Amino acid sequence: MEHILLRDLDIPDIWQFDTYMANGGYDGLKKAVADHTPDEVIQIVMDSNLRGRGGAGFPTGRKWSFIPKDAEIKYVTVNADESEPGTFKDRQLLEKNPHQVLEGSLITAYAIQATAVYIYCRGEFWDLAHELEVRIEEARAANLLGENILGTDWSCDVHIHLGAGAYICGEESALLNSLQGLLGQPRVRPPFPAQHGGGLYYQPTVVNNVETLANVPWILLNGAEAYRSIGTPESPGPKIFCMSGHVEKPGNYELPLGITFRELIYEHAGGIPNGKELKAILPSGASGPVLVATDEVLDSPLTYESVEALGSTLGSASFILMDEDTDMVWAAAKMNHFFKHESCGKCTPCREGTFWLDRVYERLLRGEGTARDLTILENVPRQMQGVTLCALGDFAANPVLSTVTQFRAEYERYIQSPEPAAASNMPDAAR
Amino acid sequence: MAETVTITIDGQQFQVPKGINLVDAAKMSGTDIPVFCYHPKMDPVGMCRMCLVELGSVVTNRETGEPDVDDNGDPVVRWFPKLQTACTQTVSEGMVVRGATQRVRDARDDILEFILTSHPLDCPICDKGGECPLQNLTMAYGPGESRFVFDDKIRLDKHVPLGDLIYLDRERCIQCARCTRFCDEVVGDDVLAFHERGRRLQIVTISDPPFDTKFSGNTTDICPVGALTTADFRFGARPWELDEVPSICPHCPVGCNISASTRLDRDFGGKKVIKRIMPRQNEHVNEIWICDKGRFGHHHARAEERLTTPLLRRGDEWVAVDWDTAYSEIAGRLKKAGDNVAFLAGNNLSNEDLWELRKLAHRTSNTPRLGVWPAFMTGADAVAQAGVGTGTRLQDMGPDSAILVIASDFEEEAPVWWLQVKQAADRGAKVVVANGRPTKLDRYATEVVHYEYGDAVAVLNSFAARARSKNKIDADFTARVDGAAELEAELKGTRVPFADAAETLLDAEDLVIFAGGEGLTLDQHRELMQAAANLLLLTGHAGKPNNGLVPVWPGANLQGAFDLGFSAETTAALADQPPTVWFIGSADPAAEDAALVQSLANAEFVVVSTQFMTPTAAHANVILPAQSFAEREGTFTNGMRRVQRFYTAQGPVGDTLPEWRIYANIGARLGGDKPRISAALVMRDITQNVPRYAAMAYPALAAVEKQFPDVGGDDLYYGGTAYTNTGGLGIQWPANAEDESARLQVRPVQLDGYQIEGLFAVPVRVLYDRSTLFEQSEMMHTHVPEPFAEINNQDAAHIGIVDGEVIRLNVNGAQHLLTARVNGQAPAGVVLVPQLLSKTPIVIGPAACAIEKIGE
Repeated sequence: MEHILLRDLDIPDIWQFDTYMANGGYDGLKKAVADHTPDEVIQIVMDSNLRGRGGAGFPTGRKWSFIPKDAEIKYVTVNADESEPGTFKDRQLLEKNPHQVLEGSLITAYAIQATAVYIYCRGEFWDLAHELEVRIEEARAANLLGENILGTDWSCDVHIHLGAGAYICGEESALLNSLQGLLGQPRVRPPFPAQHGGGLYYQPTVVNNVETLANVPWILLNGAEAYRSIGTPESPGPKIFCMSGHVEKPGNYELPLGITFRELIYEHAGGIPNGKELKAILPSGASGPVLVATDEVLDSPLTYESVEALGSTLGSASFILMDEDTDMVWAAAKMNHFFKHESCGKCTPCREGTFWLDRVYERLLRGEGTARDLTILENVPRQMQGVTLCALGDFAANPVLSTVTQFRAEYERYIQSPEPAAASNMPDAAR
Repeated sequence: MAETVTITIDGQQFQVPKGINLVDAAKMSGTDIPVFCYHPKMDPVGMCRMCLVELGSVVTNRETGEPDVDDNGDPVVRWFPKLQTACTQTVSEGMVVRGATQRVRDARDDILEFILTSHPLDCPICDKGGECPLQNLTMAYGPGESRFVFDDKIRLDKHVPLGDLIYLDRERCIQCARCTRFCDEVVGDDVLAFHERGRRLQIVTISDPPFDTKFSGNTTDICPVGALTTADFRFGARPWELDEVPSICPHCPVGCNISASTRLDRDFGGKKVIKRIMPRQNEHVNEIWICDKGRFGHHHARAEERLTTPLLRRGDEWVAVDWDTAYSEIAGRLKKAGDNVAFLAGNNLSNEDLWELRKLAHRTSNTPRLGVWPAFMTGADAVAQAGVGTGTRLQDMGPDSAILVIASDFEEEAPVWWLQVKQAADRGAKVVVANGRPTKLDRYATEVVHYEYGDAVAVLNSFAARARSKNKIDADFTARVDGAAELEAELKGTRVPFADAAETLLDAEDLVIFAGGEGLTLDQHRELMQAAANLLLLTGHAGKPNNGLVPVWPGANLQGAFDLGFSAETTAALADQPPTVWFIGSADPAAEDAALVQSLANAEFVVVSTQFMTPTAAHANVILPAQSFAEREGTFTNGMRRVQRFYTAQGPVGDTLPEWRIYANIGARLGGDKPRISAALVMRDITQNVPRYAAMAYPALAAVEKQFPDVGGDDLYYGGTAYTNTGGLGIQWPANAEDESARLQVRPVQLDGYQIEGLFAVPVRVLYDRSTLFEQSEMMHTHVPEPFAEINNQDAAHIGIVDGEVIRLNVNGAQHLLTARVNGQAPAGVVLVPQLLSKTPIVIGPAACAIEKIGE
């Protein structure tokens, strides 16, 4: 089957403007502008049931429909701060099929009548961002962006902004703060980005993930019904699965939603190296709960709903596979350390919880863990869940909770003495 | 009361004002929702997560609009699945809150446990210990012991200077951002910020010089832990040792309510001493803020340089004498002097002092000369007519309001008013700033007017002309105003050079004018005040709250001096007809006015009551040691005519006496009554003799009422440390415009500017100076610049001088070496000369001058 998103796998030169144009490039935008009102574009995307590919799976068309029609200034912000461990799909799209992302953002901008598109690239994407600037100029030269696009009254420019390496800036409201030159910390919501006062420079703003936008031109050209025929009714369309960890053929795979874990892992990605058994799966990078690789899991379809039903989340579909030799305590410690490092520090439970857990894991891995530490590893993530300002605190709790409950025996191996250790709560001087 | 909504908190229904914050609403209803990051004077951020509650709303039937009820007849409530932060909620009809359930308690326990994990728990040595929100909430919530292993605690710097006034303890900081938000939102000074992220998130100062704001001390009050402490108080005392004494700041016309924290102190001979100054809540005056001059400018009260006994000049020497000797000497001289004596009242004498000084003067002469110092502003009659209405609160001014600030460097002269006007601008009030040069308030102005110095009166007068031509005259109101028709006729045809500014003011519903005295002669200032009254009375912006005139007097109680019969014109006349005997109460004219130095030197006899040996006191024949505001009771009348009490905070230094008693004692020697035994009785005399002060008896001035937000209680976490107002909110005397039966007067103003050829010097005022009292706070000396003059860029280039160069200023026949500042602030042809940066008088009013480059 031809790729819809990773078209570079079929047409290696698709990144070039001429090649892209020769292969139906910007026809989606042209069709949107020529044949549809902005509201019709929103309706088509709503009908397609395209769901956000950044992780939350929120219906994209509905998100667009929240933009107040009376707002004078509106923005589209492209979230290209791809930082989730194990996620590398947006990078391939931006590097190998950049015009499709641009086209998708411009269709979005047309749908909400935005005057500017801001692409927020993670700081490490600096080379990619420089290339993207050239692509933008190519599109501008063809009157596909800039003043009076395609001869209409509508003008819209595209700007690129580089982040400075903070994971939290992938969170949409922290991203908006960062884009505005403020400290990259999430905002209190409401107001949400789509509302007055909530978006970029406090104007109504649509924030969409790169992969989400890459779907949009195809939907405009082929229609909502054709799109819904791919995947499942609740989770339609193609999805890029990022395969990493203990996997024979790591990389990005564009497949329709609804295939099973087993098909993805064993048929497409070549299974587990060295004939090892698959032990655990992280379906959504470090953020989602770990799944034990049971047959029930492996035979489940990959849709937003079914992964949720298994107790995890599809998220951005960044699969990190762990074979039978993996030390789950070590893995959880690594993931928690990542969240401790990336917690913005704005709200108490996330700032203090990840720090506390990190100290406990350090002690555990040094072989100084106590039974009490195990209780803390069970309690502290629960104290963090549901009370943080943004989702990072919830994410951070996931790997700890899901491993401590599902791989408890591995944790117990790290505990030397079943009794609380000598390390007391008394200050040195008082001991 | 404004529109209300019904909310339910823990099963009880309350009516609360629509649109207020849920934490505030709960507080009003008597329910505590614990917070660390939320502060009622700032926008919510939802950071600390301490205020979690169960939140829901009553489900109403769409057709009937009535609440749905369940089988028991109770309203059906739709609950949020997750706990919500109360601080980020605005109350709405049908909101239901549960704050006392086990689920909520557990969540708060959890948050508190998190906050305490890396907190150093050094309460026994922490300045905040005893008045610490974290300490208190830990007693209310949180586990009894920590599960966090002590050795896992993060170790951070504990003595980080953020500038030289405030220290940061990074271990104690709980990252609530109250300090950064105070600087950003309330003050608008971009000086503090977060640095790093996660557990390394820390407060840093990003300005140069560090923590560069005049309001830094307030961050230590609102800090919910002991992370921010002042250089003044840190390690100085424990809060529970302190007695809080209500007081009034003696430094400027705002009249900030303060609390003097006192205790018996080894370093002060075991006697009571002020350990720190804290703001005291008065929502009509300073809300809960004070500036750093007020906070750190109290050291004069116990300075070693305080004069402690009466001093008599014997030749070139001072001889310490007892009070009787001093009184006899003075009484004898005053008897002989008759009309040939002048009385000069300083700007921070209390009303009681002023009253007794006035009585003494009347005993000396039938037509006594009663002058004030400083004497460059006048116009008390304009204030009496059109002064700002009683009940005015700058915090109530918003989109419908306009504020004109004219002829004042507002932040330097009245910092807390500046703060409040800045916040009014943030809320949408239209602010017009008019002066001869740019000032900091310009950045918040809707319209900026930079007139030529000398044209201030004409500019303000033209606004009234615009009111006439744009039909903004309030005919109903002017029916009460004598001279209105004549004035209108006179205004016809007046050119309006700043029409946009005029219309910005005239279009607003409420209008307040702050009038300073920068760049005006005394005669011009009288006209400026009249022009302000004219504008306000013609347009009906008088006689009601949030409308009227506020003078930016130099000093804490010039209003009181004017109210009690002292005048600036009298002072001005002394130059031409100097008296042979001077009686000076806590004023230091010799530090500001070279001409008066000569008069003092030529005088036969000079009496000075003062706390310190000043240049003026150096001319005295008798020096009377006076008490500071800390050692006695009294009242000040602020620039909004609010009479406010201050109380005795510490015992007397040496043999010092309150000045009212000193003056009364001298009066007694001249046949007057025995002195009253207390300031309260002096005030009783005032109430019986001065109609405007009839209501100002001490018990009335001490009255307090519940204020919103209710930050004065024991719940320190809500507002900050020590704001309880037990000393009284004070009473404003009503302006004539408020009495509907009173006739009011307007008149055309004299528009004469001044014509000075070539360069001329304009004295300006700076907050941090070397005025008598403030210079005793040594910790502030690094903030007081060396004497300087600001010179226009082109003028400087023409003369060939650069920024930072030492130049010679020739003015009034004297030469001064000053550091040149060439920073684009001074208009062409003008040299700005800050007052009181040294004890040498330079220039007291606009005067021709010359700048000389000093050769290499």
